[in-house]
Amino acid sequence: MSMLGSLVVSLFMMALVFVVLSILCAMVIILSKVLALVGNKGKQTVADNSVSMVTKLNESTKESNFSTGELKLIGTDEKTAAIIMAIVSHESKIPLSSLIFKSIKVVE
Amino acid sequence: MFLDAIQTIWKDSGFAALTLQQLIMLSIACILIYLAIVKKFEPLLLLPIAFGVLLANLPLAGLMNEAPAGSSEPDGLLYYLYLGVKKGVYPSLIFLGIGAMTDFGPLIARPSGLFLGAAAQFGIAVAFIVATAMGFTPQEAASIGIIGGADGPTAIYLTTRLAPELLPAIAIAAYSYMALIPLIQPPIMRLLTTKKEREVKMEQLRDVSRLERICFPVAVTIFCVLLLPSVAPLIGMLMLGNLFKESGVVERLSETVQNALINIVTIFLGVTVGATAVAERFLKPQILMIIFLGLTAFMFSTVGGLLLGKLMCWLSGGKINPLIGSAGVSAVPMAARVSQIEGQKANPSNYLLMHAMGPNVAGVIGSAVAAGILLALFKG
Repeated sequence: MSMLGSLVVSLFMMALVFVVLSILCAMVIILSKVLALVGNKGKQTVADNSVSMVTKLNESTKESNFSTGELKLIGTDEKTAAIIMAIVSHESKIPLSSLIFKSIKVVE
Repeated sequence: MFLDAIQTIWKDSGFAALTLQQLIMLSIACILIYLAIVKKFEPLLLLPIAFGVLLANLPLAGLMNEAPAGSSEPDGLLYYLYLGVKKGVYPSLIFLGIGAMTDFGPLIARPSGLFLGAAAQFGIAVAFIVATAMGFTPQEAASIGIIGGADGPTAIYLTTRLAPELLPAIAIAAYSYMALIPLIQPPIMRLLTTKKEREVKMEQLRDVSRLERICFPVAVTIFCVLLLPSVAPLIGMLMLGNLFKESGVVERLSETVQNALINIVTIFLGVTVGATAVAERFLKPQILMIIFLGLTAFMFSTVGGLLLGKLMCWLSGGKINPLIGSAGVSAVPMAARVSQIEGQKANPSNYLLMHAMGPNVAGVIGSAVAAGILLALFKG
């Protein structure tokens, strides 16, 4: 095979690899979006059905299971902070309502 | 009488039949055993390969011999086991196990990793051009080039179909270079990236739902196999293994392919590939060329991934660390670990491992696709 021929074959192979993986990339993005949409619709229906139940639960747990006071979050999000608070409560076996968190800070 | 008996035993023994070439091959086998045990160079594969080389070069053992037609003598033990390599069974079964061990989550979370997996096949193209210029046939050049895909089973699968006579050299080169990734890649990574680029911290990947993980292998199989039917054994098995893992309903099957099956196949594959390295086929000047071309392929694959990583870094406004590009060469998870180590050297609070796993598993798909294209182009 000539040098030019091998160059053409190599370019063709690389181009085809890129095309195939680009299509795969597009496919994954579309798939994720469609599945997220389907998932959200399902969640919405479940959420609608359980509104009344949540309201009842809120009434029964009012002011009994939560930590009180002001909490300062430094470099962390609410979800992570909630997980940390739950872990501290679980490990120390002290109900969350008896704990007061002043701040949660990310240590780099 | 005793002297005659000793003479007969000596004449019938392998010692009398041992040639200088076989002695050299036995020395090579011992060096490979040393590298596998002491230096821990991919020992899971290198050790059986090395012992296969040793067995095949012991004269009169006939382990790889095919019995003449009509003979009542059985074929050699390794001849039977080699059929799994010859027919492409073992590489596909290894892919089944790899699929069950692979987490495609990081790739689904950031699908742009697929581009890096594609760019890191650059070494295959470069090695192909250089190999043809050095006088190899296109089939041989394609088999040598695939070393740059850094994927042992794919290299073996393609070589058995295009240039089986080069199988031992290519398999040994591919696995040796994969073991040397922590030595080959870092200098290239440091040469092609600035300290500022290496310091880039990437955003945390989103969560990937179970449904996405289940749909991914099904969708990839349908698309890839419809487009390139020749990759069906590799991609099909890879994705089947992954579906076993992600479905969560066939835990026993998933565990079997991840452990028992892949271990058994690795033994058969390693020993029989090693056993093809008989002196008269292995001790040729072209073996040195293959070793050189394999290194070239590996280095240029790393370069390809890094250069696209740099481009993506620039296009994303510095949100993507280009070091994850080098993980686009398959070699799961070694290449991703190298990205993590280099990233952390530049910035100790940098955690690139999960980000690099995306391009890393994309590289497995990329090299299988490249092999499928080369197979479609050059299979007679």
